Amino acid sequence: MSNVKILVVDDSSTMRRIIKNTLQKIGFENSVEAENGIDALSKLKAGGFNLILTDWNMPEMDGLTFVKSVRGSDTFKMIPVIMITTEAAKTEVVEALKQGVNDYIVKPFTPEALKAKVTRFISA
Amino acid sequence: MNVDMINSFINATVNALTTMAMLTVTRGSPYIKTTDENEFNRDISAIIGMAGDANGWVAFCLQRQLAVKIAANMLGEEKQEIDADVRDAVGEIVNMIAGGAKGELTQRGFSFKIALPTVVIGDNHELSRVKDFPYIVIPFATEEGNFTVEVCLKTNKI
Repeated sequence: MSNVKILVVDDSSTMRRIIKNTLQKIGFENSVEAENGIDALSKLKAGGFNLILTDWNMPEMDGLTFVKSVRGSDTFKMIPVIMITTEAAKTEVVEALKQGVNDYIVKPFTPEALKAKVTRFISA
Repeated sequence: MNVDMINSFINATVNALTTMAMLTVTRGSPYIKTTDENEFNRDISAIIGMAGDANGWVAFCLQRQLAVKIAANMLGEEKQEIDADVRDAVGEIVNMIAGGAKGELTQRGFSFKIALPTVVIGDNHELSRVKDFPYIVIPFATEEGNFTVEVCLKTNKI
């Protein structure tokens, strides 16, 4: 079993489960869910995360604000971040990359697309 | 609102439902809604607001059976009735419809923000139009039932 630990951040429980199920199928069993940026920052404190997958539009704290906090943290700034969002406009993608997102997946996505992006940063 | 705009919503709808819910989607002919009466009897609607060069909302309206099937297909689980998962799933689909349309429309020079989705449940509920805004209904068919995507949107660009 892989020791890789992944944080999945999305306000939609459906999307969190789809992402978790896909991760499991490709060998990443250890993923932790968070409902928004605030919840994600709290979950990160447990430590040991190798990758963050985050939505953009969420209540409480959105994905972009969350990524800024991660990149501003000495403890978490080196963790790769993939944004998974419905924000398909190029201007939004550029903005996300500027804020420190390492890669970007537009919803809707196939399991194959998620696998290809995730395995760029980690292996099972 | 012009044909290009409507096509952006059609493309995004087909993409969302074929990719995430594994459904075959066939589009009918869009029409302008002029009365408060529904031609399509709906049980559940997911609505999302837009603000900027395009103002208003887009809604994904469907019947119970199709909503349950969409959630079941998305999650890979058996589902029998509308529950929190079904509400969340249809909300996520309208999110993808709005986001996908925004992606296409941004390339045509539109700039706008999309809000978080709201889900409404009720036998043949009505959606309130924004006064004087064009209201277009796009009917679709799937092997699991019919649905509409309804767009009530005013733009400050041609």
